[in-house]
Formats: sequence, C-alpha cells, structure tokens
Amino acid sequence: MSGAANPVKPLEQTGHEDPDKLAEFEQHIANGGLIEPGDWMPDAYRMGMLGMAEHHANSEIIGALPEGEWITRAPSMRRKLALTAKVQDEVGHGQMLYRVSQELGKSRDDMLRDLVMGKTKYHNCFNYPAPTWGDIAMIQWLIDGAAIMNQKTLADGAYGPYVRTMNRINMEEAFHFKSGEDMVLTLMSGTKSQKNMCQDAFDRWWPVSLMFFGPADKPDAENKPAMKWRMKVEKNDSLRQRFVDRFAPAAMDLGLIINIVTKNEQGLVTSASPDEELVLNEETGNWSFTDPDWDEFWRVIRGNGPCNAHRLSLRRFSYEQGAWVRRAIGSGTTSLPPAA
Amino acid sequence: MSKIRERQFDHESELTAPTPDTEHWIIYTQKKPEAPFKWAGSLNAPDLELAMQFAGEHYGLDEACVAFVVHHADQATDGPCGIEPLEPGNANGTDGPSWSVFTLPRRGGNLQQAGTINAADAETALARATTTFADGKFHQVRVVPSDQLFLCTGESTLIWRLHDMDYKFAKGYSKGVRAKWTRIRDKQSYEEYRKEDIHKHF
Repeated sequence: MSGAANPVKPLEQTGHEDPDKLAEFEQHIANGGLIEPGDWMPDAYRMGMLGMAEHHANSEIIGALPEGEWITRAPSMRRKLALTAKVQDEVGHGQMLYRVSQELGKSRDDMLRDLVMGKTKYHNCFNYPAPTWGDIAMIQWLIDGAAIMNQKTLADGAYGPYVRTMNRINMEEAFHFKSGEDMVLTLMSGTKSQKNMCQDAFDRWWPVSLMFFGPADKPDAENKPAMKWRMKVEKNDSLRQRFVDRFAPAAMDLGLIINIVTKNEQGLVTSASPDEELVLNEETGNWSFTDPDWDEFWRVIRGNGPCNAHRLSLRRFSYEQGAWVRRAIGSGTTSLPPAA
Repeated sequence: MSKIRERQFDHESELTAPTPDTEHWIIYTQKKPEAPFKWAGSLNAPDLELAMQFAGEHYGLDEACVAFVVHHADQATDGPCGIEPLEPGNANGTDGPSWSVFTLPRRGGNLQQAGTINAADAETALARATTTFADGKFHQVRVVPSDQLFLCTGESTLIWRLHDMDYKFAKGYSKGVRAKWTRIRDKQSYEEYRKEDIHKHF
C-alpha cells in the first residue's frame, strides 16, 4: 500500500532542456504515450519520477512495520497466514519500486540511508499506532482500499517501468483489501466488544484515510509538471471524494459511526462526535464530509507524529542488523553479526 | 521491545558504512507449460545462485508459474522502443551463436519470449530478430545470448504451489465477503460498492 501519487514537494522544470525535445516529449505524453527508460526525458521528469518511486518504495517497507508487529498476535492461523503473506507482499513491492528507482539513477543503499536519516519521506499514514487487531482490519480495508484507488490511477501514468510495477502491485493489493474487508465484516458481525474495538479503530483510521490522498490541490494542478507529464493523473481531491462516496455508505451499513475525533500525542482518540457534515447530495451523488485536520497532517509530515521516531528507529535497526549480510555478499567475506 | 530498537540517531556518521548495490538481474516467468516467458521484474543479487534463489522466492513462489528464466541485466540488448509498431527489416543470416528474442507487444506492456535467432553480435541479433519477428504488432525487441539465460523449472528451487493458498488471493475471499455483505446490504448497493474493486484480479 502507499500513496506515492501525491508528492508534496513542488516539482519545478529546470528550463534548460532542448525546447524541441521537450515539445516532442510533452506531445508524446499528451497523446497518451509511455516513456521508457531509454527514451529522452527532461531532468525534472527523471527527478520527479525518482522522488515519487522512492517515496513509494519507502512507504512499502515502512508500511510493513505496523502490521508486522501483529503477525505473532493474529487471532487465527488463517489470519496469521494472510497477514504474513501481506507483509511479505509489501516488502516485495518495496523491492520492485527500489529497482524502478535505481534505474532512474540512485543506488539502493543511498535510498535506504536517506530514509533512515530522515532525508526522504514515506507515507504519513504509517506514523500512526495500531494498538488493536481492529486497527489491522482498518489498515487493510481503508488504507489498502485508498491505495488501490490511488494506484489504479498511477497505472495510467506515463512512465513505463512504474506503470508495469503498479499493475503487478495492484494485483496483490486486491488480496490485501479483500482480506481487510473480510476482517471488518467479521468483527462487525461479532460480539459487542468486537464491534466496539472495530469502531475505535475506525475512529483512528478514518481521518488518516482522508489525509491519505494528500492535501487539497492547487487551482492550476493540471498545468503543473506532475499532472501535465502524467506522473499522476487524478487530483487528490477527486480521489478523496471517490473514496468517501464508496466507503462512507459502506461503513454506515456496517453499523460504524463516522466521527470527528481529536487525538492525543500518542495518536489515540480522546473525543469523538458524529460528523454532522456527512450528507449525501442527491443531485451529484457525492457525500459531503468534514475535512481532516490538516494541521495534524503537516505536523506528522514534519516528523512529529505519534510513531515517526519509532518507525524510523526500527527501520534503522534493520539496516544496521543487515549490514554484515550486505558486506558479506558484496565482498565475499563473512563476519559475525552484531550482538542483539 | 528491546531498547536497541528504539535508539535514536542524529548524525549520518553514526550509520554503518555504505555498501554498493549488488548485480542487477531480470526475471521472466512462464505461467503454464508451453506458454511464452513474460517479463516479471528484476532484482539485485550478488551472483547467479542467489539471483535464482531470490527469483524463486519473490517472482516464482509469489505468483503462480511453472518455470522462470533469469539473466544478468548487462546481457540484454534493447532496440529502440518505437511509438509505432516495428515493421520487418531485411537483415538475414543464420551464422553465429543463438540469441533469445523478447518482444514488447505494447508500450507499457511486458516483454515476452518470441523465439531465437543466430547472430555474431548483439547489433546483428537485433536486426535479424526484427526481420524474423516484427509483424507490425510489437514495439521493441530485446535480445539476450541464449547461453546467458538460466532456467528454473522448480526441480531444484521451490516455485510450485502445492497447498491451498486461498488466504492470499482476493478470489479466496470473494464468496465469503459477498455473503457477509449481502446479509446487511441490498444487492444494488453491494454491486455499486464493488465497482471500485479490481475485478480482473479476482
């Protein structure tokens, strides 16, 4: 899962490109063509695609951490098998996306080092805690559901290797989503305490899901390189609206209440009240809803979320623990692993 | 959780020494016997043995297939990826060693095995492959020396799925999920909701 379609960093054109080649490149993209690695591309496009693919790859391997913590605590063998397979998938997506990024000119080691030093980012949603099994269900239903919506549009992008990788990844995301949906349905068909656990988790993840698609688009988003060059093909706001239109009625049918919440520093809900804005507009078919707390979004993206430090330190721990293996296979010599 | 896992680092100099990337390998999988091998992805590994192992784990076991082939990325020679489909050329000849030919049916699609040709070098191989295989239906040709393609049929590396893996495929959930939804939602709402699913993967 990931939300790499929405890089927050502005992507500026360099202005130093051959105007004829640039015009041909843009016309090719406007005609629906794909860019392959051997094709000419502006430096800004290469850098933009690298940033996007690297952010996506980082999100995949960091995204495996909150769910990975629950493998040992899964409630049944089938759930344990599914969760293990899902975590394995996410790390596999990371490997594929790091390869796409490597072909755009950055070494894997540099990407992993930049990640653990906080020089590059991963998706905001993985900086929130998953204190119950209900959170695992919600991550798979809501976050993977949002990821599928997002990544289906990314598969319509213009960079061939990324498009091919998206198609492979989406195939596996379909399982992640279905598995989560099954878990939510099971919990909401269960006992009162199961339903309460599910509602609490829903309260934690609904606003995070709304933030998943990134901040509101600027008015001229279509003319900015990210959309003009089909690095992303749909606006954040329209994806968010589609998400709400699909998931809000489903959640209510399940018996879940869509609340406006406040959270403490640990990311746990301290107060919740029903979203009064949540109304279906019969004419448009769209649901209106209360915007998530964008101050919280920016606070978390700047590294001050409930789990930023924890996720990065665990990733760093893995990087350090794996160093002896990388050295051994790289040089053909072996040394003992560091003591735990 | 152990305290070491929560250690914070502020300086890059505290990081372990960097390590160079390992070799780049490309993998093609075969879904059914006699079907063409199709591009599956690529990976990094220090040597062929580990590349085959990794490919079996990641691309073989992960997605149902009966065999896969691996080659070093440096062994591939790609022709230009034309916007228009390639037309046959006029380079003929049968001298030289064997090259495996892969073709790209559409830009953004996956390269797939087309056959073999003989040629003395990569450039000639590309030209002869275009003559032999181009039929106005694909956009790019890749040639790889046939002796540099390494095949795994599952005899030495586990790539076979011998057990029920319903738990890890979306279709494994579809029936149960539908039954649970239709207990609480009418059919029309459920079908509307399902529109966003990726049907072709179920």
